[in-house]
Amino acid sequence: MSTALSAPLISASALSARALAVARGGRPVIAGLDLALPAGRWTAVVGPNGAGKTTLLMALAGLLPCQGEVRWLGQLPRDLGTRGRGRLLSWLGQGEEGAAADLLAHDVVMLGRLPHQGWLAAPSAPDRAAVEEAMRRTGCWDWRHRALGELSGGERQRVLLARALAVQAPLLLMDEPLAHLDPPHQADWLHLVRAHVATGGTVVSVLHDLNMALQADALVLIDQGQIHHQGATDDPATHRALEAVFDQRVAVCGVDASWVVLPAQRAR
Amino acid sequence: MNAIPGRSPWLLAGLLVLAGLALVALGLAVGSTGWHWPWSADAPDTGQAAILWEIRLPRSLGAWLAGALLGLAGAVAQGLFRNPLADPYLLGSASGASLGVAVLLAATGLPSAATDWLPQLGITGAAFAGALGGVLLTLALARGVQQTLRLLLAGVIVGVVLGALSSLLLLRLPEVMRTLQGFMLGSTGFLGWSAVQVLALSLVPALVVALALARALDALALGEATALSLGVPLGPARGLLVAVMALATGAAVAQVGLVAFVGLVAPHLVRLAARPTHRALLPLSALAGGALLLAADVASRWVLAPQELPVGVLTAVLGGGYLLWLMHRRPL
Amino acid sequence: MADGHPLRRGWAIGFLIALLLLLLGQALPAQAELVRIVDDRGRTVTLPVPPRRIVSLLPSLTETVCALGACDRLVGVDNYSNWPDRVKSLPHVGGLEDAQVETVVALRPDLVLAATSTRSVARLEALGLRVLAIEPRTLADLRRVIAQLDQALATGQGAALQAGIDQALAGAASLVSPAARGRRVYFEVSEAPYAASEASFVGELLARLGATNVVPASLGPFPKLNPEFVVRADPQVILTTSGSAVRIAERPGWRAISAVRESRVCAFTPAQADVLVRPGPRLGEGLRLMADCLAGPIGRAP
Repeated sequence: MSTALSAPLISASALSARALAVARGGRPVIAGLDLALPAGRWTAVVGPNGAGKTTLLMALAGLLPCQGEVRWLGQLPRDLGTRGRGRLLSWLGQGEEGAAADLLAHDVVMLGRLPHQGWLAAPSAPDRAAVEEAMRRTGCWDWRHRALGELSGGERQRVLLARALAVQAPLLLMDEPLAHLDPPHQADWLHLVRAHVATGGTVVSVLHDLNMALQADALVLIDQGQIHHQGATDDPATHRALEAVFDQRVAVCGVDASWVVLPAQRAR
Repeated sequence: MNAIPGRSPWLLAGLLVLAGLALVALGLAVGSTGWHWPWSADAPDTGQAAILWEIRLPRSLGAWLAGALLGLAGAVAQGLFRNPLADPYLLGSASGASLGVAVLLAATGLPSAATDWLPQLGITGAAFAGALGGVLLTLALARGVQQTLRLLLAGVIVGVVLGALSSLLLLRLPEVMRTLQGFMLGSTGFLGWSAVQVLALSLVPALVVALALARALDALALGEATALSLGVPLGPARGLLVAVMALATGAAVAQVGLVAFVGLVAPHLVRLAARPTHRALLPLSALAGGALLLAADVASRWVLAPQELPVGVLTAVLGGGYLLWLMHRRPL
Repeated sequence: MADGHPLRRGWAIGFLIALLLLLLGQALPAQAELVRIVDDRGRTVTLPVPPRRIVSLLPSLTETVCALGACDRLVGVDNYSNWPDRVKSLPHVGGLEDAQVETVVALRPDLVLAATSTRSVARLEALGLRVLAIEPRTLADLRRVIAQLDQALATGQGAALQAGIDQALAGAASLVSPAARGRRVYFEVSEAPYAASEASFVGELLARLGATNVVPASLGPFPKLNPEFVVRADPQVILTTSGSAVRIAERPGWRAISAVRESRVCAFTPAQADVLVRPGPRLGEGLRLMADCLAGPIGRAP
């Protein structure tokens, strides 16, 4: 359900979209969508397969041609210049890094510093410090001198995460960032995101793992290119909406202090 | 750049520079009489100094420069298309060049005054014009550089069609066949100082522009979306990279013909020896390509002196052989 | 002969029939003996009668056939046969690589002349055509080919043609003044450079003219040379059929060659190149073309 966004709401939000319409391959995937995501929070975007989650995220990140207005921290991206955009928003996509198999992990993460470097400038001390910090936080500093192609799926994903973190951008958009990660490293990622949010950053992630998604601060439910619900993850209305979006085939239950999603019992 | 000993790009660069210098020295010693050190007592004396200076030295330098251009273009092609099998002839430059040469040879035989300026153009000019024409045709067919796959497909189509046109021309005028065949197999035989100048003047700007875009190439390896998000201006970057490829390939092909394999193999040789980012890969590929083509040129003069083997055959043998050996020693 | 006895009558009739047949056999028009020619492939081609419809797939063979006076018997030639003028109007059936088999068969030839390297020879033979694969590459070859064609076509002019050729060859030396004899010569066939050595047909003609070919026979008939070799050999005259006299002077280091310095570079037109390079009956003309070049004090401007 989309509501008309008022101006104050837009300027207070980290990421906002108005009348967003995106077509892929001639087919409209998203039509007339309004969205406002607050700053300093972690929002998870969930929905059934083919709902348009990745499309929405890419449109918000300015990576797809779209109609309508998208604003980052209240500003229009095109007013910022390419490097300004790169410093404001960091993107981590799915499965794109096949050609980088020859690059060393350290060099891959250093690429994240591109928006901060001059065209021909060599990496500076702050760049190296940012890279080291990012790699330590994702636990891949030990194999910084190994080529990406030699790493396992989980190790590679951690390097790519470090690359996204090295940008040190306030807005962090991630599409399926937990691919190949085993549960301990998924837990690490969770802490990472929380730490980033705690320092004032904004995280938006597309997740198909609903349990992880329910660890976020807020949830955006998408189906067929439309927003069905947007709200806090501990709000029962959100839980009911979640179950509804998935055709009542899942059930949200409380365990200790958090929420989990279980397959619904047959009888329902 | 990384700092691992044994895998350092600097070490590799040093090795390649040394190899290049050694090969130039060898190039001075090898000629139609086989191998003689120029200053040894038993060197044949007739016009030796003139031969060294006018023939062997520019030929060796020219071969190195052409190889460097091809190696650079190959590294750019593989980075731009994110495909390890890409070579600089992908965008129709090779078939365009051979069609240009075929048209020139065909027209030279015709007595009509309308084509009087064509012989002035020479094979060099015709090949260069043809190569650029082929790339422009590809760009037109792909409607710009926006989509990489489209560019690749257009390049393949243009290559096939222009190649067919060359063959048609050959059928009508078989007397040009031998010359055209010589062009297509590659030949360093007539590289003089003017050729060296043209090649050097092409290499320097190509290298500078490519190095400026080295970061863009690295970012592209992570995917187009990621590169865009990192602030890489994809459209202008791709356009400039295609221009570098076209000019470097066109300049090299115009002087030495269609030498196979150098552009494809030189970046791989570098990657198997070190794991560089493009900032190092680009100049290293140029060094490796130069050494490869010069080695092939020296061998082509030496093996059957005073006859010559086509240099394209030897680049395939040398480059392919070395690549095989490297693959055997290290996992890919 | 007693009549009524059947056996004796049978003998008589048989004897009469045999006599009749013998007389008939003698009275039939004089048949040529069955002509058998062994071609360059080692195949024996049998010709019961002199062929009247000939297709030639090699320009030098076309020219030889016409020089033997059998031009009117040609019904088809390859794309590159262009001498004499009358063959230009004949149906063209393709080149060395791609002779159009269907067209050849449709012309109903009773003899096809081809080079040994013509690809469609096997196909044509499989379709029942008689193919004589002979290819003149040297003067000795040419002599043999003339004899073979003369025998196959029964023209009777072979000896005269050969005599004319021998005369031209014998007179070759006199075409060039003694001062110009012995000059070092370099003959380039195409850019690369491919040269014609002493072992090629053109090389043999040059030898008859008294010129010294800088490219020895040991390198094969058409070696691909290192340009440095030519510079070292320093020829006094350069002949080229590659049409690139303009570019020859511009090659690195070639300015020092005597021929280039003294402007003795002769570039032959494609028509002239045909005469020079085809081992055929026009070699007298070829000799004169080359003698002009060798003898001229200035020669042709590059």
